[in-house]
Amino acid sequence: MIQREGRNGARRVNSHRFLPAACVLILLAGAAAAQTPALSKQPPGFGDFTQRVQQYMKLRNALPNQRTTKIPAKIVDRRQSLAEAIREARPAAKQGDIFTPETSEAFLKVIRGTLRGSNAANVRKTIRQGEPVAGVHLTVNGAYPEHLPRTTVPPTLLLRLPRLPDKLAYRIVGHDFVLQDTEARLVVDLIPGALP
Amino acid sequence: MFLICLSRPSAPLSAQDSTLPLKSGSVRFAVIGDMGTGDPPQYQIAQRMLEFHQKFPFTFAIMLGDNIYGGKTPADLQKKFEIPYKPLLDAGVQFYASLGNHDDTNERFYKFFNMNGQQYYSFKKGNVHFFALDSDYLDPKQLVWLEKELANAGTDWKICFFHHPLYSSGAFHGSSTELRTILEPLFLKYGVQVVFAGHEHVYERLKPQKGIYYFTEGASGELRYGNLRKTDLTAAGYDKDRSFLTVEISGDDLSFQAISRTGVTVDSGSFHRPGAEQHAP
Repeated sequence: MIQREGRNGARRVNSHRFLPAACVLILLAGAAAAQTPALSKQPPGFGDFTQRVQQYMKLRNALPNQRTTKIPAKIVDRRQSLAEAIREARPAAKQGDIFTPETSEAFLKVIRGTLRGSNAANVRKTIRQGEPVAGVHLTVNGAYPEHLPRTTVPPTLLLRLPRLPDKLAYRIVGHDFVLQDTEARLVVDLIPGALP
Repeated sequence: MFLICLSRPSAPLSAQDSTLPLKSGSVRFAVIGDMGTGDPPQYQIAQRMLEFHQKFPFTFAIMLGDNIYGGKTPADLQKKFEIPYKPLLDAGVQFYASLGNHDDTNERFYKFFNMNGQQYYSFKKGNVHFFALDSDYLDPKQLVWLEKELANAGTDWKICFFHHPLYSSGAFHGSSTELRTILEPLFLKYGVQVVFAGHEHVYERLKPQKGIYYFTEGASGELRYGNLRKTDLTAAGYDKDRSFLTVEISGDDLSFQAISRTGVTVDSGSFHRPGAEQHAP
């Protein structure tokens, strides 16, 4: 059996080898969402979002990573330790540290534009199909609750947003737009009420 | 051009009766989805899989997401995976997971799921390439990765599996049309022949869509009783009880058999690999 790695492995391939894939991705993005800057790491207008994410990742990369194991308790212990270490490393973290007012505006514009565009019905359907849970109160540095579905982030929306490092993901929880540390299951920042 | 040779038994077969050809050197696997409840029906399906394994010794199983519902404590992973499938694990069956909306991305670090720390990954068995995708988070990076992997897979069988069905007659969710807009062009361009998905808690085999065979198996633990609508998409379906699917690939032929919790074969058949040359009769 040959097993190839995914997310991390993709980074190690020279960019020119991605050229055909990149072309197709641009076409796909064009088909799915016009004027989508599919491959730019940060589409214009998002201010210093990427730099703030990188600052977070500096802190984050200094902490131990998850490793594969057959023992479930180790995964849970590492997740909890990691979350605790992140909280200790950014005790004053608050809403807006990463989604600054300027950045939030850019996200809101893209999110609401996607939800109103020509593909809006499909995008809303994707969100509904991900079974988003309403009425959950999330806080920065707080846990992303265990029982909460990951939710599904519409791919045509992801194509329009700044790319994230492997350990971070965007989530939609009720009406909130959330930046989650996936290994720590921790809320890094959020934009409350981002989704109408 | 490809040959479809489908057969459905007129009388129910018991789970002990395999309709699969059991050819030497074939790739044999089971398909389960939406199973991680930890409730009795999941255990009963696992038991049925074990019984069927005696007659059809599949070497691995692919998991279509929602592997662990609800809590993710160590006890949950044991109750919702290790205990029900222990006899199969002990028999050497490997499980390859994809993630559903109810899963924690940290499941990728769980060795029994063979994800090697990745949210999406590929592996090869015999002449079959498998691509496990994360359909909850189909970001540009994953799409670039998928295209590269598909392009490098050559002319073998290419099978993708993930959580959300691109086509479905399920009344609860239905087809994931936005994902289809993104994924289907890649599948067509690179000759993906078969796609397995879950999410809808029923079993459904779709009529080939643009030449691709789609199966939904989202009832290996959960069930939405009577949830299949009558649509033009369905080739066969089952929404009256839990089920699992077994598959055998030998050369250019794929055979399948779907089995209910009570051991009834609810669907079976075979088809030739789209794009492959026909064998002389």
